[in-house]
Amino acid sequence: MRGAKIILIFPLIFLTLFFYLPLVSIIHEGLWDNGFTLKYLIEVLSSSYHRGIILFTIKQALGSTLLTLILGLPGAYIFAKYEFPGKRFLKAILTVPFVMPSIMVALGFILLFGKQGFFTQLIGRDLEILYNWKAILLAHAFYNFPVVVRMVSSLWQRVNPHYEEMAMSLGARGFTLFRKVTLPMLMPGIFASSMLTFIFCFLSFSIPLILGGYKYATIEVDIFTSIMTLLNFKVGSALAIIQITLSFIFMYFYIKSLDLYAKAEEQRIFRTPKKLDFKELLSLRGLLIIFYSLIVFIFIISPLLAVLYDSLIYQGTFSLEWYRRVFSKRYNPIFGASTMIAIRNSLLFGFTTIILSTLLALIVAYVLHRWQFKGKNIFDTLVMLPLGSSAITLGLGYIRTFHKPPLELLGTWYLIVFAHTIIAYPFVLRAISAVLKKIRPNLKEAALSLGAKEWKAFLRVELPLALGGIIVGAIFAFAMSIAELGATYMLYQPEYTTITIAIYRFLGARQWGSASALSVILMVISAISFIIIERIGEEIW
Amino acid sequence: MVKVELRNILWIQGDFKLEINRLEVKEGEFLTLLGPSGCGKTSTLRIIAGFEKPDKGEVIFNDKVVNEIPPYERNVGIVFQDYALFPHMTVFKNISFGLEMRGFSKEEIKRKVKWALELVGLSGFENRYPEQLSGGQQQRVALARALVIEPELLLLDEPLSNLDAKIRERLRGEIKRIQRELKITTIYVTHDQEEAMAISDRIAVMSIGRIEQVGEPLELYYKPKTEFVAKFLGLSNILEVEIKGKKAFVDDYFLKVETTREGKAKIFFRPESVLISKEGIPAKVIGYELLPGRIRLKLEISGQEIIAERFLNELPFEVHAMPDVIKIEILPKDITVLK
Repeated sequence: MRGAKIILIFPLIFLTLFFYLPLVSIIHEGLWDNGFTLKYLIEVLSSSYHRGIILFTIKQALGSTLLTLILGLPGAYIFAKYEFPGKRFLKAILTVPFVMPSIMVALGFILLFGKQGFFTQLIGRDLEILYNWKAILLAHAFYNFPVVVRMVSSLWQRVNPHYEEMAMSLGARGFTLFRKVTLPMLMPGIFASSMLTFIFCFLSFSIPLILGGYKYATIEVDIFTSIMTLLNFKVGSALAIIQITLSFIFMYFYIKSLDLYAKAEEQRIFRTPKKLDFKELLSLRGLLIIFYSLIVFIFIISPLLAVLYDSLIYQGTFSLEWYRRVFSKRYNPIFGASTMIAIRNSLLFGFTTIILSTLLALIVAYVLHRWQFKGKNIFDTLVMLPLGSSAITLGLGYIRTFHKPPLELLGTWYLIVFAHTIIAYPFVLRAISAVLKKIRPNLKEAALSLGAKEWKAFLRVELPLALGGIIVGAIFAFAMSIAELGATYMLYQPEYTTITIAIYRFLGARQWGSASALSVILMVISAISFIIIERIGEEIW
Repeated sequence: MVKVELRNILWIQGDFKLEINRLEVKEGEFLTLLGPSGCGKTSTLRIIAGFEKPDKGEVIFNDKVVNEIPPYERNVGIVFQDYALFPHMTVFKNISFGLEMRGFSKEEIKRKVKWALELVGLSGFENRYPEQLSGGQQQRVALARALVIEPELLLLDEPLSNLDAKIRERLRGEIKRIQRELKITTIYVTHDQEEAMAISDRIAVMSIGRIEQVGEPLELYYKPKTEFVAKFLGLSNILEVEIKGKKAFVDDYFLKVETTREGKAKIFFRPESVLISKEGIPAKVIGYELLPGRIRLKLEISGQEIIAERFLNELPFEVHAMPDVIKIEILPKDITVLK
């Protein structure tokens, strides 16, 4: 272990250069003007426009979390209590949102809920969901309710039946029983998944940008416009400082709640779900389960189907015209490159992100779970903070840090990859941590006692056992890199256009067909990721 | 074969302090570390294995200080409480792991693994995975894996505690047989006094953070040096007495003792050492329990409770006609004056 400390250098240098340095430069930008100043912070906070946006960001995050819980809790109950035909399939469907890029889902929502949308035509009335807070809440719920289902059902299965039986024998029943006995035991799961959802919604970018229209912006969108449209770095940085401060506070509660959740999950008592056969599925209870499953299925699948369908319709008839256009090698003036280049870039960035973020997360996870040293608490916190930073804030930090020597990296493709790595790494870390935690430390000790040196014990014993989690983490990194829009948009040059940027440009030009065809390509890539994750079957959340 | 010595060991982990002034394990000896959970016996084992570094003191193998030698160079075989079999490797791969690390040829590895599997009675299980084995079989694989590298020292950390009683008894006999056969120095950790008595050449009884007494099983049982050791092994009687000239007085009555000490003291004896006789100290019978073939009497001698255990056929009276007061006697050789 003595010599092994050298491996710490990579994560420390990488995080310092590509996370902490940009963070410092934002703070400097927002609080410095020939000396310390609160001028820009006050400017932002005293403007009713920015205040409204900050308030809306919190409100929509709260609303989204509530909607997510409403949609997720019945699922948690069903998953914990019942075994029924099709449950495996439903579980797989719930994994889909995790790998589906948000720009594609946003496009799906446009195609569903727009004035000519499939859903609008189906019910014959425009519910004005689009370009409104409603669409934002729905899309956020789409991404987050599977988290609630998995986290809460995992606890629900572990509620010791004796508690409920005891309470029943003492006279509690029905809703009282649930409220007084069951619910308190589920709280860690509800709280942790709510915090996670809240943070996701607080920092989400593509969804409010595309679905919120010009009226409903969040802090993330506000920073983006301040910098990219108004070129006002001072105000952008002040907004970013407010956002970071808030998100670090939320992160603190999230990590606290995660501790409680992990403790509750250690509970070994495990109730096997009740098996329902086809006959029982026709009872009221069974029909409610079918109804819920159907809603979930339609909710998740319909935006994807809408995109697929739209990509195949050209001037009212079935045609591959959009694909022909998309795959032509011709230079596309809308985003200044050819589509093939965009696909190549996305794959290149994706694979490079896999390598960097997996290496980074593997080292950090290993140190977190296996090493003890002075100041480890500080290390723990420092490596977790990237989870609380948003893509746009990161992009802003990169622009401020890397536009001048000695680190003049702006405009290079690898700076984009570094941003993707920082964004994806916390999630890879979580996947790898989950498997490393399960590997008992005495396996390594057994290997050491049998004559294996530290690195050999790692390679032969721990690495093979952790492989599933590492692959899931890697796929996750890939999916996040492929889906990334905000930071990439701020850092790219036309020749580094990615698929998501191309789609965004098509959306801006209102070329739905081209956007859909490209989205289908993205969907196929994501589907491959999804299949690999399903096959490996490691718990990913 | 190796002689193991711990000298002036101090190991601190948070609030817990482990202090061992001296512990010696002779060549080929089977020594057991016995103590309640949390007393530091596993930590002692881990210090010897090299997984933990003592804050002070020396770990010595054959007169050589090994503190700085990493675990993988100590040539020590270990069996953990949960076996720690590599779940992704077959039985063969598990056992051959240590041999591969030592660079043996394929033929040699095959030969040695075969030998080890025969030794533990698991020939034919080469291609199974650990999860396909019963607890007892996993235990044997762990033992084979530790022994195949021909270690100089074998460390066993509660190896039987996860098994049910019957298998436990059979396996402990086998461990002892193999240890005799290979004449390997062995340190065994357990909290089970019966196991320790059955299997060990010598036992080191530990209380929280220290060793109370080291000795052969019978010596510890009949001649404990401290109250802790006396109470930890089997049932015990401890009486507060006043010693005057080799007589231990309880009120006006006395027991003869072999000691040079005088004044207030505590004496110790086992329940089976209490004899029922015509002459002797009167003891009030306050209760009794029947055991298969035996009886356990609860007695009181001037306010102090003791237990006596006799075979039923030795009783000078019928159980149903139990007198209120009986007379008891304890031979001087069965009495230990505690420190």
